[in-house]
Amino acid sequence: MFYIHDTICISPQTSYTDIDLGKINGPVENKLLAKEPSYEGIPLGILRRMGRAVRMGVGAALQITKQNLDGIIIGTGNGGMEDCIKFLNQIIEYEEGMLTPTNFVQSTTNAIAGQIGLMTKNKGYNCTHVHRGLAFENAIIDADMLLTENSSAKYLLGAVDEISAYNYNIDLLDGWFKKEKLTNENLYDLNSAGSIAGEGAAMFLASKEKIGASAEIKAIHILHSDNEQMIASELKKFISKYTSEEKLNLVLSGENGDNRLQKYYSTCETQLPEKLAIARFKHLFGEHASASALAVWLSCQIIIKQSVPKHLLKFPANNAGINEILIYNNHKGIQHSFILISRVDG
Amino acid sequence: MEKEQLKQQLKKQIITFLNLMQVKPEDIKDDEPLFGEGLGLDSIDSIELIVLLNREYGINIQDPKEGRKVLVDVNTMVDYIIAHRTK
Repeated sequence: MFYIHDTICISPQTSYTDIDLGKINGPVENKLLAKEPSYEGIPLGILRRMGRAVRMGVGAALQITKQNLDGIIIGTGNGGMEDCIKFLNQIIEYEEGMLTPTNFVQSTTNAIAGQIGLMTKNKGYNCTHVHRGLAFENAIIDADMLLTENSSAKYLLGAVDEISAYNYNIDLLDGWFKKEKLTNENLYDLNSAGSIAGEGAAMFLASKEKIGASAEIKAIHILHSDNEQMIASELKKFISKYTSEEKLNLVLSGENGDNRLQKYYSTCETQLPEKLAIARFKHLFGEHASASALAVWLSCQIIIKQSVPKHLLKFPANNAGINEILIYNNHKGIQHSFILISRVDG
Repeated sequence: MEKEQLKQQLKKQIITFLNLMQVKPEDIKDDEPLFGEGLGLDSIDSIELIVLLNREYGINIQDPKEGRKVLVDVNTMVDYIIAHRTK
Protein backbone atom coordinates (compact mmCIF):
# COMPACT_ATOMS: atom_id res chain seq x y z
CA MET A 1 0.00 0.00 0.00
CA PHE A 2 1.99 3.05 1.19
CA TYR A 3 4.50 4.40 3.67
CA ILE A 4 4.01 6.61 6.70
CA HIS A 5 6.57 9.32 7.29
CA ASP A 6 5.82 12.00 9.88
CA THR A 7 3.34 11.19 12.62
CA ILE A 8 1.70 13.56 15.10
CA CYS A 9 -0.83 12.73 17.79
CA ILE A 10 -2.88 14.75 20.25
CA SER A 11 -4.44 12.34 22.72
CA PRO A 12 -5.23 11.92 26.41
CA GLN A 13 -1.63 10.71 26.82
CA THR A 14 1.71 12.48 26.50
CA SER A 15 1.84 12.00 22.75
CA TYR A 16 2.28 15.42 21.12
CA THR A 17 5.82 16.26 22.09
CA ASP A 18 8.22 14.45 24.46
CA ILE A 19 6.26 11.25 23.86
CA ASP A 20 6.04 9.19 27.06
CA LEU A 21 3.83 6.11 26.87
CA GLY A 22 5.23 4.63 30.08
CA LYS A 23 3.28 7.13 32.18
CA ILE A 24 -0.51 6.85 31.88
CA ASN A 25 -2.84 9.83 32.23
CA GLY A 26 -6.14 8.79 33.80
CA PRO A 27 -9.74 9.73 33.05
CA VAL A 28 -11.60 12.75 34.46
CA GLU A 29 -15.20 11.86 35.33
CA ASN A 30 -14.90 8.71 33.19
CA LYS A 31 -13.65 10.66 30.15
CA LEU A 32 -10.17 10.38 28.72
CA LEU A 33 -9.78 14.01 27.65
CA ALA A 34 -7.07 15.01 25.19
CA LYS A 35 -4.07 16.92 26.56
CA GLU A 36 -4.21 19.84 24.17
CA PRO A 37 -1.02 21.78 23.44
CA SER A 38 -0.88 25.59 23.33
CA TYR A 39 -1.28 25.58 19.51
CA GLU A 40 1.40 28.18 18.89
CA GLY A 41 1.11 27.74 15.11
CA ILE A 42 -2.54 28.86 15.01
CA PRO A 43 -3.16 32.65 15.08
CA LEU A 44 -5.25 33.64 18.14
CA GLY A 45 -7.89 35.28 15.92
CA ILE A 46 -8.54 31.91 14.24
CA LEU A 47 -7.99 29.75 17.33
CA ARG A 48 -10.72 31.52 19.32
CA ARG A 49 -13.36 30.40 16.84
CA MET A 50 -12.34 26.75 16.75
CA GLY A 51 -14.13 23.97 18.59
CA ARG A 52 -12.13 21.12 20.15
CA ALA A 53 -12.23 18.79 17.13
CA VAL A 54 -11.13 21.50 14.69
CA ARG A 55 -8.47 22.71 17.12
CA MET A 56 -7.00 19.24 17.66
CA GLY A 57 -7.12 18.37 13.98
CA VAL A 58 -5.57 21.60 12.76
CA GLY A 59 -3.04 21.71 15.62
CA ALA A 60 -1.81 18.21 14.80
CA ALA A 61 -1.91 18.71 11.03
CA LEU A 62 0.07 21.95 11.00
CA GLN A 63 3.17 20.06 12.13
CA ILE A 64 2.97 17.92 8.98
CA THR A 65 1.70 20.45 6.43
CA LYS A 66 4.96 22.39 6.58
CA GLN A 67 5.87 20.33 3.51
CA ASN A 68 4.26 20.63 0.08
CA LEU A 69 1.32 18.26 0.00
CA ASP A 70 -0.88 17.06 -2.85
CA GLY A 71 -3.95 16.86 -0.67
CA ILE A 72 -5.65 16.44 2.69
CA ILE A 73 -7.62 13.31 3.64
CA ILE A 74 -9.35 13.31 7.01
CA GLY A 75 -11.60 10.79 8.74
CA THR A 76 -14.01 11.76 11.53
CA GLY A 77 -17.00 10.02 13.03
CA ASN A 78 -18.68 13.13 14.40
CA GLY A 79 -16.56 16.17 13.49
CA GLY A 80 -17.24 19.28 15.58
CA MET A 81 -20.42 17.94 17.14
CA GLU A 82 -20.20 20.27 20.17
CA ASP A 83 -20.44 23.34 17.92
CA CYS A 84 -23.24 21.72 15.96
CA ILE A 85 -25.27 21.30 19.15
CA LYS A 86 -24.53 24.89 20.22
CA PHE A 87 -25.89 26.04 16.86
CA LEU A 88 -29.00 23.85 17.10
CA ASN A 89 -29.61 25.05 20.66
CA GLN A 90 -29.39 28.65 19.43
CA ILE A 91 -32.13 27.93 16.90
CA ILE A 92 -34.42 26.81 19.74
CA GLU A 93 -33.33 29.43 22.28
CA TYR A 94 -33.73 32.35 19.90
CA GLU A 95 -36.81 30.93 18.15
CA GLU A 96 -35.17 30.66 14.74
CA GLY A 97 -34.24 34.35 14.96
CA MET A 98 -30.82 35.93 14.61
CA LEU A 99 -28.08 33.30 14.82
CA THR A 100 -24.30 33.66 14.93
CA PRO A 101 -22.38 32.00 12.08
CA THR A 102 -19.29 30.76 13.94
CA ASN A 103 -20.76 27.63 15.54
CA PHE A 104 -22.34 26.60 12.26
CA VAL A 105 -19.17 27.17 10.23
CA GLN A 106 -17.09 25.16 12.72
CA SER A 107 -19.58 22.34 13.18
CA THR A 108 -19.57 20.72 9.76
CA THR A 109 -17.47 17.57 9.56
CA ASN A 110 -15.36 18.96 6.72
CA ALA A 111 -14.46 22.09 8.74
CA ILE A 112 -11.28 20.32 9.91
CA ALA A 113 -9.87 19.49 6.47
CA GLY A 114 -11.19 22.78 5.10
CA GLN A 115 -9.51 24.84 7.80
CA ILE A 116 -6.22 22.96 7.31
CA GLY A 117 -6.43 23.67 3.57
CA LEU A 118 -7.20 27.36 4.14
CA MET A 119 -4.44 27.88 6.70
CA THR A 120 -1.80 26.13 4.61
CA LYS A 121 -3.08 27.54 1.27
CA ASN A 122 -3.36 23.97 0.00
CA LYS A 123 -5.62 23.93 -3.04
CA GLY A 124 -5.19 20.21 -3.72
CA TYR A 125 -7.49 17.27 -3.01
CA ASN A 126 -9.49 17.90 0.17
CA CYS A 127 -11.76 15.15 1.40
CA THR A 128 -13.40 14.17 4.68
CA HIS A 129 -14.63 10.63 5.31
CA VAL A 130 -17.47 10.28 7.81
CA HIS A 131 -18.17 6.56 8.01
CA ARG A 132 -18.54 6.61 11.81
CA GLY A 133 -16.20 3.96 13.28
CA LEU A 134 -14.62 3.28 9.87
CA ALA A 135 -14.00 6.92 8.91
CA PHE A 136 -10.21 6.67 9.26
CA GLU A 137 -10.12 3.30 7.51
CA ASN A 138 -11.94 4.82 4.52
CA ALA A 139 -9.47 7.71 4.55
CA ILE A 140 -6.65 5.11 4.34
CA ILE A 141 -8.34 3.40 1.38
CA ASP A 142 -8.79 6.79 -0.31
CA ALA A 143 -5.10 7.65 0.23
CA ASP A 144 -4.09 4.27 -1.16
CA MET A 145 -6.15 4.73 -4.32
CA LEU A 146 -4.76 8.24 -4.89
CA LEU A 147 -1.18 7.09 -4.32
CA THR A 148 -1.70 4.17 -6.71
CA GLU A 149 -2.70 6.69 -9.39
CA ASN A 150 0.15 9.07 -8.61
CA SER A 151 3.12 7.42 -6.91
CA SER A 152 5.08 10.66 -6.44
CA ALA A 153 2.30 12.36 -4.45
CA LYS A 154 2.24 13.08 -0.72
CA TYR A 155 -0.93 13.35 1.33
CA LEU A 156 -1.85 14.45 4.81
CA LEU A 157 -3.83 11.53 6.21
CA GLY A 158 -5.47 11.65 9.60
CA ALA A 159 -8.48 11.38 11.85
CA VAL A 160 -10.07 13.41 14.64
CA ASP A 161 -12.90 12.96 17.09
CA GLU A 162 -13.88 14.88 20.21
CA ILE A 163 -15.94 14.07 23.28
CA SER A 164 -18.98 16.33 22.97
CA ALA A 165 -21.88 16.68 25.37
CA TYR A 166 -24.05 15.29 22.59
CA ASN A 167 -22.19 12.12 21.70
CA TYR A 168 -21.19 11.40 25.31
CA ASN A 169 -24.67 11.81 26.82
CA ILE A 170 -26.50 9.96 24.06
CA ASP A 171 -23.98 7.12 23.98
CA LEU A 172 -23.99 6.94 27.80
CA LEU A 173 -27.77 6.55 27.80
CA ASP A 174 -27.44 4.01 25.00
CA GLY A 175 -25.09 1.92 27.16
CA TRP A 176 -21.85 2.51 25.23
CA PHE A 177 -20.03 4.05 28.21
CA LYS A 178 -19.74 2.60 31.69
CA LYS A 179 -21.38 4.39 34.60
CA GLU A 180 -19.20 2.92 37.38
CA LYS A 181 -16.00 4.76 38.32
CA LEU A 182 -13.29 3.96 35.81
CA THR A 183 -9.53 3.97 35.90
CA ASN A 184 -7.06 3.01 33.18
CA GLU A 185 -6.32 -0.16 35.13
CA ASN A 186 -9.82 -1.53 35.75
CA LEU A 187 -11.29 -0.92 32.26
CA TYR A 188 -10.83 -4.52 31.06
CA ASP A 189 -11.78 -6.21 34.35
CA LEU A 190 -15.23 -4.86 35.20
CA ASN A 191 -17.26 -7.39 33.17
CA SER A 192 -20.01 -4.89 32.41
CA ALA A 193 -21.47 -3.20 29.35
CA GLY A 194 -19.92 -0.04 27.96
CA SER A 195 -16.44 1.39 27.70
CA ILE A 196 -14.60 4.61 28.50
CA ALA A 197 -15.01 7.78 26.37
CA GLY A 198 -11.95 9.16 24.63
CA GLU A 199 -10.88 11.62 21.98
CA GLY A 200 -7.87 12.70 19.99
CA ALA A 201 -6.31 13.43 16.64
CA ALA A 202 -3.63 11.52 14.73
CA MET A 203 -2.04 12.82 11.54
CA PHE A 204 0.36 11.11 9.13
CA LEU A 205 2.30 11.99 6.03
CA ALA A 206 1.46 9.26 3.50
CA SER A 207 3.48 8.57 0.36
CA LYS A 208 4.97 5.78 -1.77
CA GLU A 209 8.48 6.98 -0.84
CA LYS A 210 10.21 4.25 1.13
CA ILE A 211 13.34 6.17 2.08
CA GLY A 212 12.99 7.78 5.49
CA ALA A 213 9.64 6.15 6.23
CA SER A 214 8.68 5.25 9.80
CA ALA A 215 6.40 2.37 8.86
CA GLU A 216 4.36 0.90 6.04
CA ILE A 217 0.62 0.32 5.92
CA LYS A 218 0.67 -3.02 4.12
CA ALA A 219 -2.99 -3.95 4.01
CA ILE A 220 -6.44 -3.00 5.25
CA HIS A 221 -9.78 -4.76 5.32
CA ILE A 222 -13.10 -3.40 6.56
CA LEU A 223 -16.44 -5.09 7.04
CA HIS A 224 -19.84 -4.64 8.61
CA SER A 225 -21.21 -7.61 10.52
CA ASP A 226 -22.46 -8.66 13.95
CA ASN A 227 -21.46 -12.28 13.40
CA GLU A 228 -18.28 -13.08 15.34
CA GLN A 229 -17.64 -16.31 13.41
CA MET A 230 -17.67 -14.39 10.14
CA ILE A 231 -15.28 -11.74 11.54
CA ALA A 232 -12.90 -14.45 12.77
CA SER A 233 -13.04 -16.21 9.41
CA GLU A 234 -12.25 -12.92 7.60
CA LEU A 235 -9.36 -12.32 10.00
CA LYS A 236 -7.93 -15.75 9.26
CA LYS A 237 -8.10 -15.05 5.51
CA PHE A 238 -6.52 -11.61 6.01
CA ILE A 239 -3.58 -13.06 7.95
CA SER A 240 -2.93 -15.83 5.44
CA LYS A 241 -3.16 -13.41 2.50
CA TYR A 242 -0.99 -10.56 3.76
CA THR A 243 1.32 -11.87 6.48
CA SER A 244 2.57 -15.07 8.13
CA GLU A 245 3.23 -16.54 11.57
CA GLU A 246 6.92 -15.74 11.16
CA LYS A 247 6.45 -12.09 10.26
CA LEU A 248 3.57 -11.13 12.56
CA ASN A 249 4.81 -10.18 16.03
CA LEU A 250 1.99 -8.30 17.68
CA VAL A 251 -1.77 -7.85 17.57
CA LEU A 252 -3.09 -4.51 18.76
CA SER A 253 -6.61 -5.23 19.89
CA GLY A 254 -9.38 -2.65 20.13
CA GLU A 255 -10.80 -4.48 23.18
CA ASN A 256 -12.58 -1.80 25.20
CA GLY A 257 -13.96 -3.45 28.35
CA ASP A 258 -17.50 -3.78 26.97
CA ASN A 259 -18.51 -7.34 27.81
CA ARG A 260 -21.04 -7.34 24.92
CA LEU A 261 -18.22 -6.90 22.39
CA GLN A 262 -15.77 -9.30 24.01
CA LYS A 263 -17.05 -12.21 21.90
CA TYR A 264 -15.61 -10.57 18.75
CA TYR A 265 -12.15 -10.17 20.25
CA SER A 266 -12.14 -13.59 21.94
CA THR A 267 -13.28 -15.38 18.77
CA CYS A 268 -10.69 -13.55 16.68
CA GLU A 269 -7.97 -14.50 19.16
CA THR A 270 -8.66 -18.17 18.36
CA GLN A 271 -7.56 -17.48 14.77
CA LEU A 272 -4.20 -16.00 15.75
CA PRO A 273 -0.92 -17.91 15.70
CA GLU A 274 -0.07 -19.47 19.09
CA LYS A 275 2.03 -17.46 21.53
CA LEU A 276 1.52 -14.27 19.55
CA ALA A 277 1.73 -11.14 21.70
CA ILE A 278 -1.56 -9.24 22.11
CA ALA A 279 -1.69 -5.64 23.29
CA ARG A 280 -4.60 -3.29 24.02
CA PHE A 281 -4.82 0.49 23.67
CA LYS A 282 -8.29 1.73 24.65
CA HIS A 283 -7.20 2.35 28.28
CA LEU A 284 -4.91 5.05 26.83
CA PHE A 285 -7.13 6.68 24.21
CA GLY A 286 -10.68 5.61 25.14
CA GLU A 287 -13.43 4.50 22.80
CA HIS A 288 -14.34 6.81 19.94
CA ALA A 289 -14.91 6.67 16.21
CA SER A 290 -11.28 7.54 15.37
CA ALA A 291 -9.64 5.20 17.90
CA SER A 292 -8.08 3.14 15.10
CA ALA A 293 -6.10 6.20 13.92
CA LEU A 294 -4.54 6.50 17.35
CA ALA A 295 -3.80 2.76 17.20
CA VAL A 296 -1.94 3.31 13.92
CA TRP A 297 0.05 6.11 15.55
CA LEU A 298 0.79 3.82 18.52
CA SER A 299 1.89 1.04 16.15
CA CYS A 300 4.31 3.44 14.45
CA GLN A 301 5.76 4.32 17.86
CA ILE A 302 6.15 0.64 18.77
CA ILE A 303 7.87 -0.06 15.44
CA ILE A 304 10.17 2.96 15.75
CA LYS A 305 11.13 2.18 19.36
CA GLN A 306 10.98 -1.62 18.92
CA SER A 307 9.40 -2.02 22.32
CA VAL A 308 5.89 -2.37 23.72
CA PRO A 309 5.06 -0.61 27.02
CA LYS A 310 4.19 -3.34 29.55
CA HIS A 311 0.81 -1.88 30.48
CA LEU A 312 -0.38 -2.49 26.90
CA LEU A 313 0.29 -6.21 26.91
CA LYS A 314 -2.51 -8.70 27.41
CA PHE A 315 -0.42 -11.70 26.33
CA PRO A 316 3.30 -11.02 26.17
CA ALA A 317 5.62 -12.96 23.91
CA ASN A 318 9.36 -13.28 23.55
CA ASN A 319 10.14 -11.79 20.20
CA ALA A 320 13.50 -10.46 19.12
CA GLY A 321 12.00 -7.56 17.20
CA ILE A 322 8.69 -6.15 16.03
CA ASN A 323 8.29 -6.44 12.28
CA GLU A 324 4.55 -6.48 11.72
CA ILE A 325 1.61 -5.34 13.81
CA LEU A 326 -1.99 -6.28 13.11
CA ILE A 327 -4.65 -3.89 14.45
CA TYR A 328 -8.11 -5.34 14.93
CA ASN A 329 -10.67 -2.72 15.90
CA ASN A 330 -14.40 -2.93 16.29
CA HIS A 331 -16.85 -0.05 16.64
CA LYS A 332 -20.13 -0.78 18.40
CA GLY A 333 -20.06 -4.44 17.38
CA ILE A 334 -20.90 -3.66 13.76
CA GLN A 335 -17.95 -1.93 12.08
CA HIS A 336 -14.74 -3.97 12.01
CA SER A 337 -11.30 -3.29 10.57
CA PHE A 338 -7.98 -5.07 10.18
CA ILE A 339 -4.92 -2.91 9.47
CA LEU A 340 -1.49 -4.43 8.92
CA ILE A 341 1.49 -2.21 9.69
CA SER A 342 5.04 -3.19 8.94
CA ARG A 343 8.55 -2.09 9.80
CA VAL A 344 10.44 -0.60 6.88
CA ASP A 345 13.58 -2.54 5.94
CA GLY A 346 16.80 -0.70 5.34
CA MET B 1 -27.73 51.62 34.63
CA GLU B 2 -24.93 54.19 34.68
CA LYS B 3 -23.06 54.69 31.40
CA GLU B 4 -19.77 53.50 32.94
CA GLN B 5 -21.41 50.35 34.26
CA LEU B 6 -22.90 49.71 30.84
CA LYS B 7 -19.46 50.04 29.23
CA GLN B 8 -18.00 47.46 31.62
CA GLN B 9 -20.91 45.10 31.00
CA LEU B 10 -20.58 45.51 27.23
CA LYS B 11 -16.84 44.80 27.32
CA LYS B 12 -17.48 41.55 29.21
CA GLN B 13 -20.17 40.60 26.69
CA ILE B 14 -17.86 41.32 23.74
CA ILE B 15 -15.19 39.06 25.27
CA THR B 16 -17.72 36.26 25.88
CA PHE B 17 -19.50 36.49 22.52
CA LEU B 18 -16.31 36.66 20.50
CA ASN B 19 -14.39 34.21 22.73
CA LEU B 20 -11.52 36.70 22.98
CA MET B 21 -9.09 34.52 24.88
CA GLN B 22 -6.41 36.41 26.81
CA VAL B 23 -8.33 39.73 26.60
CA LYS B 24 -9.60 41.30 29.84
CA PRO B 25 -12.27 44.06 30.04
CA GLU B 26 -9.63 46.58 31.14
CA ASP B 27 -7.62 45.81 27.98
CA ILE B 28 -10.41 47.27 25.80
CA LYS B 29 -10.22 51.07 25.71
CA ASP B 30 -13.46 52.99 25.27
CA ASP B 31 -12.27 54.82 22.15
CA GLU B 32 -10.14 52.01 20.68
CA PRO B 33 -11.29 50.89 17.19
CA LEU B 34 -12.95 47.48 17.29
CA PHE B 35 -11.99 46.54 13.71
CA GLY B 36 -8.70 46.59 11.86
CA GLU B 37 -6.31 48.10 14.39
CA GLY B 38 -7.22 47.99 18.09
CA LEU B 39 -9.04 44.75 18.89
CA GLY B 40 -8.46 43.54 15.31
CA LEU B 41 -11.94 42.13 14.76
CA ASP B 42 -13.15 41.03 11.32
CA SER B 43 -16.38 40.78 9.31
CA ILE B 44 -17.60 37.59 11.05
CA ASP B 45 -17.15 39.39 14.38
CA SER B 46 -19.36 42.24 13.15
CA ILE B 47 -22.21 39.73 12.69
CA GLU B 48 -21.54 38.37 16.18
CA LEU B 49 -21.74 41.93 17.60
CA ILE B 50 -25.02 42.62 15.79
CA VAL B 51 -26.40 39.40 17.29
CA LEU B 52 -25.09 40.52 20.72
CA LEU B 53 -26.99 43.83 20.46
CA ASN B 54 -30.12 41.95 19.42
CA ARG B 55 -30.02 39.34 22.16
CA GLU B 56 -28.83 41.44 25.07
CA TYR B 57 -30.45 44.80 24.33
CA GLY B 58 -33.29 44.05 21.89
CA ILE B 59 -31.71 46.20 19.16
CA ASN B 60 -32.15 45.26 15.49
CA ILE B 61 -29.60 46.69 13.08
CA GLN B 62 -30.66 45.88 9.55
CA ASP B 63 -29.00 48.67 7.57
CA PRO B 64 -25.28 47.94 7.02
CA LYS B 65 -24.54 51.69 6.85
CA GLU B 66 -26.02 52.11 10.31
CA GLY B 67 -23.96 49.14 11.55
CA ARG B 68 -20.76 50.79 10.37
CA LYS B 69 -21.53 53.88 12.43
CA VAL B 70 -22.44 51.89 15.55
CA LEU B 71 -19.67 49.29 15.61
CA VAL B 72 -16.78 51.75 15.74
CA ASP B 73 -15.70 51.51 19.37
CA VAL B 74 -17.19 50.85 22.83
CA ASN B 75 -18.27 54.51 23.16
CA THR B 76 -20.35 54.45 19.95
CA MET B 77 -21.90 51.12 20.85
CA VAL B 78 -22.87 52.28 24.35
CA ASP B 79 -24.37 55.55 23.03
CA TYR B 80 -26.45 53.56 20.53
CA ILE B 81 -27.56 51.07 23.20
CA ILE B 82 -28.71 53.88 25.51
CA ALA B 83 -30.68 55.50 22.67
CA HIS B 84 -32.25 52.37 21.18
CA ARG B 85 -32.41 49.56 23.76
CA THR B 86 -35.74 47.82 24.22
CA LYS B 87 -34.66 45.60 27.11
